[in-house]
Amino acid sequence: MSILTTEQQEIKRAAREFVAKHIIPNAAEYDRKGEFHPFLLEAAKESRIFTMAIPKKYGGLGYDALTQALVAEEWGYGCGGMGTTLAAGVLGMDSVLLVGNDEQKQRYFDAIVKGGLSAFALTEPGAGSDAAAVRTTAVRSGDDYVLNGTKCFITNGGYASVYVILAKTDPSKGVKGISAFIVEKGRAGFTVGATDHKLGIRSSNTVELLLKDVHIPAGNLLGKEGDGMKIAMMTLDLGRQLIAALALGIAQRALDECVKYLQKRFPGKMQPGQTLQFKLADMQIQVEAARESLHHTVRLRDSGAPFSKESAMAKALCGDVAMAVTSQAVSLMGSYGYTSVIAKAMRDAKIMQVYEGTNQIQRLVIARAVLSPAPAAGAGQKAA
Amino acid sequence: MPKCLVCYKWTLDEKDIKIKPDDLSLDASRAKGKISDFDRNAIEEATLIQEQHGGAVHALSYGTSAVKQSLKDVLSRGPETVYWIADNSAQTADACVTANVLAATIRKLGSYDLIICGEGSSDLFNQQTAARLAALLGLPCVTYVEKLSVEGDTVKATRKLADGTEVATVKGPVVLSVLGTINKPRIPTLKQVLGAAKKPNKEIKIADLGLNAEALQPKAVHKSVKGFVAKRKNIVYKEPNAAANVGKLTSSLAAEGVR
Amino acid sequence: MNFQLTEEQQLIEQSARDFAKEYLDPITGQLDHTGEFPEAVVKELANHDFLGLHLPTEVGGAGAGFVSYVAVIESLSRSCAAVASIMNNQAMASYAIQHWGSELQKKQYVQALVKGETIGAFAIYEHGSTPGIGPDALVATKSEGGYVLKGIKAYVRNAGAAQVYVAFAVTDPADPKSLTAFVVAAGVTGLKVEAALPTMGLKGCPVAHVVFDNVAVPDTAVLGAVKSGSDIATRILALASVAEAAQTVGIGQAAVEHAAAYAKQRVQFGKPVATLQAVQTLLAEALTDCYLARLGLRSTAQLVEDGKPFETEAAMVKSFLARLGSKILIDTCQVEGGMGYSETMPLPRLFRDIAGTTLLDAPADFPDYTVAASIA
Repeated sequence: MSILTTEQQEIKRAAREFVAKHIIPNAAEYDRKGEFHPFLLEAAKESRIFTMAIPKKYGGLGYDALTQALVAEEWGYGCGGMGTTLAAGVLGMDSVLLVGNDEQKQRYFDAIVKGGLSAFALTEPGAGSDAAAVRTTAVRSGDDYVLNGTKCFITNGGYASVYVILAKTDPSKGVKGISAFIVEKGRAGFTVGATDHKLGIRSSNTVELLLKDVHIPAGNLLGKEGDGMKIAMMTLDLGRQLIAALALGIAQRALDECVKYLQKRFPGKMQPGQTLQFKLADMQIQVEAARESLHHTVRLRDSGAPFSKESAMAKALCGDVAMAVTSQAVSLMGSYGYTSVIAKAMRDAKIMQVYEGTNQIQRLVIARAVLSPAPAAGAGQKAA
Repeated sequence: MPKCLVCYKWTLDEKDIKIKPDDLSLDASRAKGKISDFDRNAIEEATLIQEQHGGAVHALSYGTSAVKQSLKDVLSRGPETVYWIADNSAQTADACVTANVLAATIRKLGSYDLIICGEGSSDLFNQQTAARLAALLGLPCVTYVEKLSVEGDTVKATRKLADGTEVATVKGPVVLSVLGTINKPRIPTLKQVLGAAKKPNKEIKIADLGLNAEALQPKAVHKSVKGFVAKRKNIVYKEPNAAANVGKLTSSLAAEGVR
Repeated sequence: MNFQLTEEQQLIEQSARDFAKEYLDPITGQLDHTGEFPEAVVKELANHDFLGLHLPTEVGGAGAGFVSYVAVIESLSRSCAAVASIMNNQAMASYAIQHWGSELQKKQYVQALVKGETIGAFAIYEHGSTPGIGPDALVATKSEGGYVLKGIKAYVRNAGAAQVYVAFAVTDPADPKSLTAFVVAAGVTGLKVEAALPTMGLKGCPVAHVVFDNVAVPDTAVLGAVKSGSDIATRILALASVAEAAQTVGIGQAAVEHAAAYAKQRVQFGKPVATLQAVQTLLAEALTDCYLARLGLRSTAQLVEDGKPFETEAAMVKSFLARLGSKILIDTCQVEGGMGYSETMPLPRLFRDIAGTTLLDAPADFPDYTVAASIA
């Protein structure tokens, strides 16, 4: 783990306390019911944690990337579903932060600061990994854009007050014809469709969004027409780090529970044999290595250095580690694991390999970066 | 106490057959054999009759050497014995040859009260076996049978036709072909599967049937069998108004010859 | 060496496939949802001779061998692994009683188990690391004409639904080697089944702790010889390893087939995703794992059928699948992307089910030790 400043340690400790008080005692019940957790937004109001990505000048906490990752890891430790609510909320804010003008930032961030939730809507039934295949349209009409289409698998979609939605402004242009828009809840024609019931992160709200002749003012366009995909990719580069942090939290939780279980099962002088010890050691190595990878990535970002490849690496690694560690833990903990909170962690871990860009997409990004022609002399020396 | 004979065909399971994309030829190398679907219904119907009225159920099949793989399968489904003819001629046999072989065999085996076939085979679905058998044996024939009942020496059959149902009653020996809807073939229990090995089967040699060369000469010859793949034209009509699109669609269909 | 199933074995496998299609497919989703013990389906299993598959015809069984058994378990697991679990646990109880039981015990239970009139359970594990060790270990204290059982058996499958338990207790709390098997009727005074535990998958096969609160049983309740419990348990758990492996393979195979069908029709980047090498690799590895695991478990099953020693091979199969873990489902869910995470699709249920077939329930007893012992 990175060596943290006192402030970062304090924020991490406060997050841990919050999670222990509000998330851990309730996670199993919301998972079982598969219901969203409005109580959590209430509970988090005082800490303002949902504004952690918003700059201070707009009323947010303005946490840097490392601090956000510390918080997200604690939330993932408590519950992947509730952690997803937090992480997905940051996505929309990140888009606005990256390219929004001052007025847009004011408007969007204000809604969050006031206690609203945010959602980021890119995915469609025909546009998953092939994000460029977006078919939702945005047609200019006077001072408005009119949006039509369907989005699916949108986290927080049923509870957000503000959304960033990707739509096609120019069908003839392919990827360069996609634009990004701010859409507010309550716009006529903008409704929430079916809710998806999932294998894991069950308390996270995952819905369809239906747009039928939704009018939004032209001032809701983020950046320029045609910037949409670029904005989305830059946003996901940031979002991936939070997802990686969530995954890390899930993995650490599984490891900790496994240790507790073994200590109980082999009390006093009894020790689990080498086989078990080594499996634990391997889990510890994986979790710690994943954490270092993530912390390196967020430090790159906080220092202003390029970090896209590292984001992809951290996301892929943390997701894969979460899956490996949780499933190893369930196996080792036998029937106890299969009937306990660890089984939930394993279910929650699976999505970490899928959303925000499948780990296959991450590998494409990484491979492309690795295979591209070597830069001029000095290659391999990254600005620290 | 009716004596039933079920004629069945051992075919390739079509779900295992792959179509080669380049020339649409069939790759059946991994295809397993199965009792033709409606023949399975025929076996089940005969078994049901026997369970209700007593009597006997025999099975008969004419095929290539592959027919030997069918014996235990058939015997696990009710028949007490199975007669089989394994001959290369089955490879190219048409409905005419098949019927000749089966009829000659049946004349040797003796008389049956009911000779039951499936309405058509899973692979060719010629729907000719029952009718041809009946003609050769000089027996009445009832096809498209959806429901069957036996009362003494009378058989009552309900036929499902395109425009309605028809009930036929027949006194005395009869050839029937049954539809897939007539019953639901049972799943053989393990004991029935293991018991099949203990039941007798008898090979019948084609040479012993007294058929001349002409009777074994197919009149219909298969030159090739190819797969069929639907090819989509993927034409999209993108006129701004619906009426224009409909107009374009109808002209296009007319040009393809659709009336 | 013949790696193909015999004709009979193929027919039995086909019957099991047809049975699964007819009786399991229609109820699988609902069963996963309610977790209610599927009595009607168990009755049908009995009607089709599955519950007595491995037992001699004299007791109403089908007398089929262990290869047929694992082929059936795999076929059923492709549709509903929970029902396969019920069948496996039933078989563990019926096999134990048939093999080591007294004439009285056999007469009392075997035919009823074969007919599905009695449900059986196998109670071996405890909260402690090894049966016989720990504060809740099941102890059988000698009494006049019998024993008094006190302790807790943990994570007993079929518990609650079962009318008879084959339970393992130490007659001497200081000596784990005194483990003894007992046949205990569910209704006996002092036996209490706790609330069914919330399992991740395999819902419908109940799992619960069974508390023995001074349960008095006669001497005739002992199964086999006193202190022979370890041998009995070892043998049955070895057989169960192979049977569970068949479950894993069945679930995995179903997942691969579903994911492949999905990938062929899911178009992204202008082509079905099945054309992408990344997807092909995931599917190919999963299919390969199923194929090789199947070979291993069937070859081991053949050893069982031939009456040859098989414990090492059974441990190898278990070890291999424990290493594989849920990889097949982790990867096939991945192929289906977001849809593979939605409970409207079957893969999430298969994901939850397969994890229950590779559990290492006795940390002290890993399969690797058995294998290592064979080459020591």
